[in-house]
Amino acid sequence: MKLVRYAYPTPRNFSPVYGALPRGPWSGLENELDRLFDSALSGSAAPTAGRFPVDLYEDKDNTYVRAELPGVNREDIGVELVDGQLNLTARRKTPAADDQPAQIYPLNRSVTVPDAAVQVDKITAAYENGILTVTLPKREESKPRKVTVAVK
Amino acid sequence: MSLFQSLVSPFARGSSAPTAGPAKLESVPSLHPLDEIKEAADAFGLVVHLPGVAKEDLEITAEDDVLRIVGRRGWKCPESWIPLYRESTDVPYELVLRHDHALALERVRAELKDGVLRVSLPKTEAVKRRKIAVA
Repeated sequence: MKLVRYAYPTPRNFSPVYGALPRGPWSGLENELDRLFDSALSGSAAPTAGRFPVDLYEDKDNTYVRAELPGVNREDIGVELVDGQLNLTARRKTPAADDQPAQIYPLNRSVTVPDAAVQVDKITAAYENGILTVTLPKREESKPRKVTVAVK
Repeated sequence: MSLFQSLVSPFARGSSAPTAGPAKLESVPSLHPLDEIKEAADAFGLVVHLPGVAKEDLEITAEDDVLRIVGRRGWKCPESWIPLYRESTDVPYELVLRHDHALALERVRAELKDGVLRVSLPKTEAVKRRKIAVA
């Protein structure tokens, strides 16, 4: 599975206009310190811009991908399977404020999915409370099989 | 602006928080959610990202000079599901904001949609800028 560990974002990449907001001089420090410790302890500094956390689960029939995508319209979420890569794309639109025009912030992530193990035409996705759940049904051949062998 | 500064979540957190300050959730780890505060002429606008939190799992309390937002994730991993790889956590979100009593708490409005909480915190009449006509 080709994935780079996600680090929770700092306010700086929360929205593209964030840097321009009148914030206190210390307000970002707390998050910066947290991130510094996190990246130092995990051994890799993950770039977080435009990324979002992804969880993978499986049970005996399906593989599940759950992604945290708060504040995105359903029609702005794209789920594609291309060459064994499950690409999750989304666009977060920040509404226009008094002094700022509306902004569109692209988000994307991909997960490697072995094509041979998934019933490609039966993939489903649901979005609830800001969480996207993609269900990838396994092919019959790739399910764990129980074979009973008679001993003579 | 001093009023704005006071709304920004306090720098000190966890064990280093001042003893007189707001107590965190009892020894339960919590995640500081992504938040953004904007100031308009008559209100503060607060946007908090709370993915996985439904309306009934969200708790907003105002006591004394502290506004506390706690969001618990309602989703539980079904028993048959085996986690293969995790990047998110199951700990609740907690955001503690201190203010200086310049908010009209009885008129606070909050809306949770698709994991994003938008709160409007109106300022009290006393704090709003008023133009005084010179006779």
